[in-house]
Amino acid sequence: MIDSKKYIFTFLITSAIFATAFFASTYFSNKRVAGIKQIQDNIAIDILSSETQFDLLKEVSCSNVSDSVLSQELSELGEKLSHTENERGTDDAEIIYLKKYYSLLEIKDYVLSKQLAAKCGVTKKPVFIIYFYSNLGDCVDCEKEGYVLTFLREKYPELRVYSFDYNLNLSAIDTMKKIYKISSSLPAIVIEDKTYTGFKTAEELEKLLPDTLREVVATTTVSTSTKKRAE
Amino acid sequence: MLDATLQALLYPFLFLSLYFQIFLLLSFFEGKRKIKKEEHMKAGDSPTVTVAVPAWNEERTLASTIESLLRLDYPKDKLSILVVDDGSSDDTFAIARKYESMYPKLVKAITKENGGKHTALNLALSQSQSDLFGCLDADSFVAPNTLQTIVSYFQSNSEIMAVTPCIHIRHPRTFIQRMQAIEYLMGVFLRKVYGELDAIQVTPGPFSIFRREVFDTIGPYKKAHNTEDFEITLRMHKHKLKIANSHKALVYTIGPATAYGFFKQRVRWARGFLENALDYRELFFKKEYGNFGVLTLPMAFLFIFYGLYASIFSFYLLLSDFFARVSRWVTIGIHPRIPEFDLFYVNTNTMSFVAMIMLTLFLITLYIGNLLSDDRQQFYKNFPVFFVLYPVFVPFFMARAVFDTFTKRKNEWALQDNKKV
Repeated sequence: MIDSKKYIFTFLITSAIFATAFFASTYFSNKRVAGIKQIQDNIAIDILSSETQFDLLKEVSCSNVSDSVLSQELSELGEKLSHTENERGTDDAEIIYLKKYYSLLEIKDYVLSKQLAAKCGVTKKPVFIIYFYSNLGDCVDCEKEGYVLTFLREKYPELRVYSFDYNLNLSAIDTMKKIYKISSSLPAIVIEDKTYTGFKTAEELEKLLPDTLREVVATTTVSTSTKKRAE
Repeated sequence: MLDATLQALLYPFLFLSLYFQIFLLLSFFEGKRKIKKEEHMKAGDSPTVTVAVPAWNEERTLASTIESLLRLDYPKDKLSILVVDDGSSDDTFAIARKYESMYPKLVKAITKENGGKHTALNLALSQSQSDLFGCLDADSFVAPNTLQTIVSYFQSNSEIMAVTPCIHIRHPRTFIQRMQAIEYLMGVFLRKVYGELDAIQVTPGPFSIFRREVFDTIGPYKKAHNTEDFEITLRMHKHKLKIANSHKALVYTIGPATAYGFFKQRVRWARGFLENALDYRELFFKKEYGNFGVLTLPMAFLFIFYGLYASIFSFYLLLSDFFARVSRWVTIGIHPRIPEFDLFYVNTNTMSFVAMIMLTLFLITLYIGNLLSDDRQQFYKNFPVFFVLYPVFVPFFMARAVFDTFTKRKNEWALQDNKKV
């Protein structure tokens, strides 16, 4: 009555399909992470190149430094990292590593941009927003603040938004927190070296941004990496 | 974290569903030669057949149902049509009487107080002496060769005790009916494979035919939670009586035209399935009841709960996404953007791969279902309707049926549907 062989054969086929699906999924996920690493490496080279150019600035004029020294790919990287983090989870060791790397690149980019602005004058001065968030469920407004910052970044392409996971265990982020006196009260936003805590609407933030924002020529934008930060 | 745990619980369900799909497809291809052979069987001597037509307020469709029986390509001296009016308040009985007077040797009309479909069938059963006995719901219609085709199965194998037909939705017009047209196509495939596995789940009201000795052995119809056709199937399996399916025996039934009508019918069916399955729980996982006891019955039972879980989880994901969008709109206003395609964002998790494979296998089974039947359905026109609407209905009627079953709730509104046999 019962064909046991068919039951076993079906089990083997089903298992094989599941295993194939699992391996395919792992393969694509690894490819995705490798893609992110590739972008990060490209950005690292960009930044290193910019730093080298900056060192050379002591000997050459500002006009020799093109806008392109500022990383063009941080925005894309942030979005992809955010997507991968949502898929693999916030406690994935590889994701945490990539986020640390990303945060360091952001800080490097920020410092270099500031130095360039100081050295080369107002016309090259970009506008920065530094944003601290948490995705541990203890910041109810972080998701909304992320939407606002994404919106502002799209509205003002020259606005550079640097997002940092408050809970990421990285000494460079701790230093940033100390510099800008960031407490656990989140979301926290730094504009023009002033720190603001609590949710801020797009209108409120626009008022805090310098009037020169629209006049700034810089086209580079920087994005983020989790859904609770500006994407 | 919660999402990940809830999602992980879906994996056993996906595995079982895929297992089941593959098992059915393997069984179909294994029995393909036999199925082809069945298509060429010819009926020899014609046994006597009684077709009972239980009817409650069916004045709109009864005449067409009887007409379709009268057009059956079957010796008229071997056929008798017994219309049982189950206490209708409309002209059902008058219509039956009209046909009785027109075909006195062929059609008999009887009336009784309303007591439900099983009582009408049992009355017909008590008044018939034929070799074969069957039922045709008064909203269903047979093709001329249907009875001959079914009889050939009885003659090909003396162990076959009942034969179920191939059912299509008659003239699907509304979206709800077009959705059912595809669902019934799935039924064509399932019934055929279940027949090959000796695991037919139900001998449906539209034209399932039984040998008389079935009732002598296991007794008459029962109320059976208003799904007497499912109960009698369970009882037949319990007595190890063989049921076959004739995929070329075409029967057409009128599917509910409205969402409410469909919902009501499915709550009754799903609840009837659950309650009868619980009544016959001794069949579960028993090797002696073959593939029915070991696989198809437990799977059907489990799928109601797991299907409900999967639907609720999907609904929860949709809602979460919706609320996230609303929260975004409320925060920054609506700023529509043209989405950009990037391969990076294509979902490649294990579940989506398995879901794609399952969808492909499902389409293959529908395709086979359509090929099996002699009446091809408008697959391309109706499948999109099915694909969009069906998943919306399933969680609601399953949830209602499960709730009603375990709270022992009386559903008068659903019973109304049953009286309308």
